[in-house]
Amino acid sequence: MILEVKDIHKSFGDKEVLHGVSFQVESGKALGLLGRNGAGKTTTIRILMDVFHANSGEILLDGRRFQPRRHQIGYLPEERGLYPKRTVIDQMIYLATLRGMRPGEARTSAKKWLARLEVAEYETKKLETLSKGNQQKVQLAATLVNNPEMVILDEPFSGLDPVNSQILKDVVNELISEKRLVIFSSHQMSYVEEFCDNIAIIDRGQVVLDGELREIKKEYGRNRLMLAAENHTLEQLAQKIQEEWQGLARVSGRTREFLVLELSEGADKRTLLDRLARSDVDVEKFGRYEPSLNDIFVAKVGEEE
Amino acid sequence: MRKFAIVLKYELREYFSNKIFMGLTIFLAVLGVGLLFLPRFVDMSGFTGVKIVGGSDSEEEENPDEEKPLFLYEDQAGIVQEDILIQLFPGVNWQKSERSAIKASVEAQEAEAGFVVKGKTEYEYYIFNKPMADHNTSLFQEAMRMFYRMDYCGQKGWDVEEIQGMYNVPITVEEEVLNKDSGSNYWYCYALVIIVFMLIVYYGQMIAVSVTNEKSNRAIEVLVTSTSSNSLLFGKVIAGAVAGVFQMGVLLGALLIAYQANREQWGGMLDMILDIPGEVVAAFALFGLGGYLFYGFLYGAMGALVSKTEDISKSASGLMVVVMGVYFFSLIQLTDVDGAVTKVLSFLPVSSYSTMFARIAMGTVAVWEIAVSFLILVLSIVGVGVLGARLYRMGTLRYGNPIKLSRALKDLRKSD
Repeated sequence: MILEVKDIHKSFGDKEVLHGVSFQVESGKALGLLGRNGAGKTTTIRILMDVFHANSGEILLDGRRFQPRRHQIGYLPEERGLYPKRTVIDQMIYLATLRGMRPGEARTSAKKWLARLEVAEYETKKLETLSKGNQQKVQLAATLVNNPEMVILDEPFSGLDPVNSQILKDVVNELISEKRLVIFSSHQMSYVEEFCDNIAIIDRGQVVLDGELREIKKEYGRNRLMLAAENHTLEQLAQKIQEEWQGLARVSGRTREFLVLELSEGADKRTLLDRLARSDVDVEKFGRYEPSLNDIFVAKVGEEE
Repeated sequence: MRKFAIVLKYELREYFSNKIFMGLTIFLAVLGVGLLFLPRFVDMSGFTGVKIVGGSDSEEEENPDEEKPLFLYEDQAGIVQEDILIQLFPGVNWQKSERSAIKASVEAQEAEAGFVVKGKTEYEYYIFNKPMADHNTSLFQEAMRMFYRMDYCGQKGWDVEEIQGMYNVPITVEEEVLNKDSGSNYWYCYALVIIVFMLIVYYGQMIAVSVTNEKSNRAIEVLVTSTSSNSLLFGKVIAGAVAGVFQMGVLLGALLIAYQANREQWGGMLDMILDIPGEVVAAFALFGLGGYLFYGFLYGAMGALVSKTEDISKSASGLMVVVMGVYFFSLIQLTDVDGAVTKVLSFLPVSSYSTMFARIAMGTVAVWEIAVSFLILVLSIVGVGVLGARLYRMGTLRYGNPIKLSRALKDLRKSD
């Protein structure tokens, strides 16, 4: 199953908020939809779920127009909410039957997911009597109650403590290993890095970077080195590189611990190392730079600022 | 259709598992039945005109003056006949007295009222607190006229009874109402117009609150991505209709059965409200339910245009004005159900729920008119249902300030 989002445009009133969003994802893989607040992630997801209609563009599933209600989709919206005054099991069965399950099957599935998310003891309780974290887990159980072939999770980890996050991580990993198609948006890059084979970074309504995460990391690490010195601060080191080694490398970024250098055309790691050895720089850290998703995100979205 | 049935069932459970809803229904039904059984256990003959055999009559005979209000009178003109006063004021204990004593007794509230007959056509009336509906003066004036006639006839040597017989000759009438008897149909029509108005306002508000709650607790996004907004709104509104019909059915059913069981004890005095012909009940059920559904969908849509329940009154105020206007107009026009304005209103879906059934109950209406009016109502219900579902869908994720209906309709047109 391949889901393709092609050149989606969306306006609210006179303001266009999505300017041609495109990406694709296939079964058994997870796509991480990344972006700053207000970038357009949730709007894109809502268009996918047919909550909003796009002004133009298309969404295809295996080459055909995607109609969400014809498929079993587990959707966890950013705006969480169920019926606070109804019992947990009642509303889960209700949602499962609305999505096409038979009542008996829905009850069994609801119980299974409540148990899987470790909230089975609350099934006969009213939702409002549960803690925020447990309400969040019930919401996740309600998302998955219809055993969906496609799972769309909008910020699924928000509001979960580390223990509950681990439970959810395990569930998401299971979904991926069961060849479900998973899309999830998050601000927490570590989770995206952990699950997602593909990412799409949306900034101000357009995809500024997308593709296979491994390739993106490789691309971002190519010709990049990390450097830190015992006897220079990062600022001093950056100034030195700019003044003395301009033809060799330039500073393309920095973390709290080291500078990220980008080798100039024709230069290589060995030449730089040689120059360093002959300089007064007491090297603390030197090596190939492997960017984290967070670094890529900050670099990419930061560039657009 | 299956999804609609699921929503309907879920929403119905909300009503029927609601202790307040069920408790209120049972409480009102028991209260109504209790009141209608009252004449079996309590002497209400003063109100119903029917005495209970073996009831408190015997006590009354043993001490007939006890509990009766005391009225005093002074006859300065020499024309008063106490037996006539007793006839005209059956529940009163009359005593002769003097003007000063009468005034003092009334002032001390020992006597309820006092009369001083100063001449053949002149009297004084004393009362401590005069009630809104005081019939004493009109009855006493009638008594004075009778005293005057008797005195006059006596002076002329005429036979009073013969003259009274001539004036009050009994007339026999055989009346056959060939169509509708407005006199007897008026009160139950009045009651049914009030009932349908209350149903629309009460359940309409409940539907709007239910929709707004789904927005405010953010359940709506999960719902609209799980099924169609048509299923959601139709399920919600029709569940409200079923709950309303159930509540009204239990109440009216209990009242009608209890009244039939106690009709004799009530002396048939509630026939005007509770003896409703079958065709009127059927017209009420069809048009009342139709009107309820028509407004139910609109209330549902109004609920979707706001994010907080406290904003519903603002959003639904225009709708409320229409419902109130139709309500007051229907009540006013009950005395002229065949008038041109009522005829026109009986075809409009906003008002046919009360005006057409009033015409059926009290006026002259052709079968084709009923059919056309009902067809218009049904088509309008479907129309506002679909429009309501679209407004509901459009308002789904629009939080913040209430959306004006005109704005919402414009946005709908744009999205087409």
